[in-house]
Amino acid sequence: MSALAVITQLFLALPLLALVVNNLVPRETMRHTTIGMSAGVATAQLLAAIIGFVLLSASGESSFRFALAWDAAKGLGYFRVDLVTLFLLACVGLVSLIANLTAFTTIDDHRSSFTNLLMVMLLGMNGMLIVRDLFSLYVFMEVTGIASFVMIGMYKSTRDLEGAFKYMVLSMLATIFILTGLSLLFIKAGSLSFDLLRPALFEGVVDAKTLLSWVALVLLVSGYAIKSGVVPFHSWLPDAYESADSAVSIMLSGIVTKIAGVYSMLVLVRLFPGNMALRGTLLVLGLLTIITGALLALQQQSFKRIAAYSSVSQMGYILLGFAADTRLGIIAGLLYLLTHALAKTALFTNAAALEKRLGTLNVNEMGGLQAKMPVTAFSSVAALLSIAGVPPLAGFWSKLLVLIALWSAGLRGVAAAALLLSILSGAYFLRLQKKAFFGKLNPRWNSVVEITGGIQVSELLLSIATIAIGLLFPLVLLYLQHAGLV
Amino acid sequence: MQATLLVCIFTPLIGACLLPLIGQRAPRVRNLFSLLFVLASFLCSASLLPAVLSGSKPLIRLALPLGLSLGFQADALSVFMAMTASLVACVILIYSFGYIKDYDNQNEYYFMAVLFLGAMMGLVYSTSLILLYVFWEISAIACWRLIGFYREELTIVRANKAYVVTVFGALIMLVGFLGIWGQTGTFELTAMQGAHVPAWCVVLILFGILSKSATFPLHSWLPDAGVAPSPVTSLLHAAVLVKIGVYAYARLFAVTFTIDPVFTQIVPIIAAVSALISAGCAMVETDIKRIIAYSTISQLAFILLGVSIGNETGLVGGMLYILAHSVAKGGLFLCAGIVEHNLHTKDINQMGGLYKRFPLTAVAFALCSLSVMGVPPFSGYFAKFLVVQGALTANQPWLAGVFILGAFMTVFYLSRVFFKVFLGPETNHHAHEKSRAMVGSVVFLGVLALVLGVFISLPAELASRIWGVL
Repeated sequence: MSALAVITQLFLALPLLALVVNNLVPRETMRHTTIGMSAGVATAQLLAAIIGFVLLSASGESSFRFALAWDAAKGLGYFRVDLVTLFLLACVGLVSLIANLTAFTTIDDHRSSFTNLLMVMLLGMNGMLIVRDLFSLYVFMEVTGIASFVMIGMYKSTRDLEGAFKYMVLSMLATIFILTGLSLLFIKAGSLSFDLLRPALFEGVVDAKTLLSWVALVLLVSGYAIKSGVVPFHSWLPDAYESADSAVSIMLSGIVTKIAGVYSMLVLVRLFPGNMALRGTLLVLGLLTIITGALLALQQQSFKRIAAYSSVSQMGYILLGFAADTRLGIIAGLLYLLTHALAKTALFTNAAALEKRLGTLNVNEMGGLQAKMPVTAFSSVAALLSIAGVPPLAGFWSKLLVLIALWSAGLRGVAAAALLLSILSGAYFLRLQKKAFFGKLNPRWNSVVEITGGIQVSELLLSIATIAIGLLFPLVLLYLQHAGLV
Repeated sequence: MQATLLVCIFTPLIGACLLPLIGQRAPRVRNLFSLLFVLASFLCSASLLPAVLSGSKPLIRLALPLGLSLGFQADALSVFMAMTASLVACVILIYSFGYIKDYDNQNEYYFMAVLFLGAMMGLVYSTSLILLYVFWEISAIACWRLIGFYREELTIVRANKAYVVTVFGALIMLVGFLGIWGQTGTFELTAMQGAHVPAWCVVLILFGILSKSATFPLHSWLPDAGVAPSPVTSLLHAAVLVKIGVYAYARLFAVTFTIDPVFTQIVPIIAAVSALISAGCAMVETDIKRIIAYSTISQLAFILLGVSIGNETGLVGGMLYILAHSVAKGGLFLCAGIVEHNLHTKDINQMGGLYKRFPLTAVAFALCSLSVMGVPPFSGYFAKFLVVQGALTANQPWLAGVFILGAFMTVFYLSRVFFKVFLGPETNHHAHEKSRAMVGSVVFLGVLALVLGVFISLPAELASRIWGVL
């Protein structure tokens, strides 16, 4: 068995194993170690995915097929990873690790439940990334979704339940869309396997069955759009993020919406290249999302809601990258996803720090906190500048690649609009900084001290990652060139 | 040679990041190091001078896909700009030792000030539009933090304004860069020598340049930024920020690209309008820093006029103007800083007769003013003369006339400030020049403005090489 075969087993085995251990050992015994264990799983996944990426990239193969250990011996290969999914698996591991580091501080009750749910969520996302057909993709998406609802409502306060309920109702709608879409697609294509779905489904004479596949496409895109929280399906997202614990918000905004929604969109883009309707839809959704998200972020009073709407807005750039419908566009979108995950995760760790130390997330009540919480202030500046696409931070390069991809795909107007709209990201960055960190210290916070422990470690880690990726981005470009990807 | 170039750029950039760490232990050591980092840039740039004068152009290049290759190159234009900026920045840092010492957030101040200068170094030496943009934005961030140094509500609003205007300009400029990339497939300036740029790209890039160099109609953030500490305004006006815009114009449109001849008509007209409007504003303002700020806008317009007129005389004049203006305007702001720091007001109506209390400052202010006015034999005179001659050579007697009118207005409003502040009945009997570092800095700049005029042939020699690369 090759090294890759062993590594790929881990993506399902690790969360399952952790789930079993967590429930076999009595809760009180696990209380102090349970989050450590899930952090371990996350770290292992991060490393496994990175090693897998290096191995696969070195082997020159485009993808690697595998199956559960006992089936693999029989020569079956119903799962697969490729460079894209390994990259995303690493992102999943990274964000989960940060969520766990934050959870050490923020989660006090229900620690075991947190680990259980996180492992289910991880299982769901990993599953989505390794399957080879649209139906399994949907199944694992539901697994992820269910873990998310429960996690948001974990503390059963009215606000928690409201956020969870809103998410659940919209997810049900997404479920209906997606399932209907899948059945229609199945009628036309006779299969939902990635290998058998072809762009040709939409070509040829327009008959009833071709029409079906168009309807299916519309339904699927709408369903996935709800899952990724892009405008006009964004209303659940800020409520869910705000009411959830910060560690949960980190998972939701950092990775869950991106795997459940954006990755599913990417699957469609990769299945049906050259589909002008799909491309156009993504362009419109992308631009609309960027504008609406940023404008709404400018009006929020809560730190978490600003971050949440910023998250909505940034999702638009990823979609635009995919809409370019070229390899460069997909790479750019994925890099954007990573740099945004880093920055947005950092913002939610900042929110955790502020909530812990101040007991409020209302930015109007803050002011001049840089004097008291320099690490949090610095990491929020780095994160927001990266989101606004200011060089030399990581977000700049991924945005630049998205723009270059759009421009070379002939979408110059869209590229220019996307670029100029980043001034809106700059605007909510300035507003947030002015209210929270920059400026005179609000006397109310004279005795506040900087956050410590896991949250501070995450803040530093993410800021350093954002800056380092930005400074060392030429290496990424050289790698892409070396691998023949650009 | 390449190593020197790298040291020149990365000493302030990396050094700046170390300053807060040093500052937590030993503030004095931090101050010393901040000066050393900037001085290193100046010395390295100076050491590149012989090579550049003999015609060689040391280049460091990192080849990257998608036309994103990055690189640094020293030529006459970049060395000229780098030396001017780092020299003035050194003086401003020495001045800061006195000015800033009683305030909070000094670590951030020195971090940002040195980073700012580092960004300027990177910008003038970069050979790629992407690197140009990177350093352009770094300077905007540094500028944002520095303008908001006092952390008052108003200063933060003004800092945000400066950030929004310059960054929005930069984003529009980046669209123009993408347009150039779309046409040539590269962001590398060295690969685009003599390439023709479509007019719409030029317009977009001009937008960025005008916003950064505070030219009408995108000028209003600059006077508003006067709420910053005086060494910061001096840094913005004299050493680094606003010169970035004119530098970019010179680098892109005078030296690298060929553009439609219509722009050699339009840009000088924008410049002339900007010059007259801001000179008018300077004549009616009563806030000493705003007067000098409007004066900067006015003078910058003349630099832009010289650079954009499209002949050698104008370009050399523009370059010398950058040098002369950096030194003199840096000096004026620092003088204003001494006065305002001791009197706790910026209103010139509340000042008067200060020459007794601030004798050296008054002398330095007079010397710098004379240079900005363009009185021979100060350096400002030669620069002004060449720009006027450039306009005449280009057959634009009207522009030359506007320029001379602007020069008269300069004489008027600077004399007004000098008379109001330093002459007349004495109003304040207790203030006096406190810090030797501060007074020494302004005197140095005042004398330098004069000495540069006497030895104007040296920088002129270097400036005349810039046109030669075309």
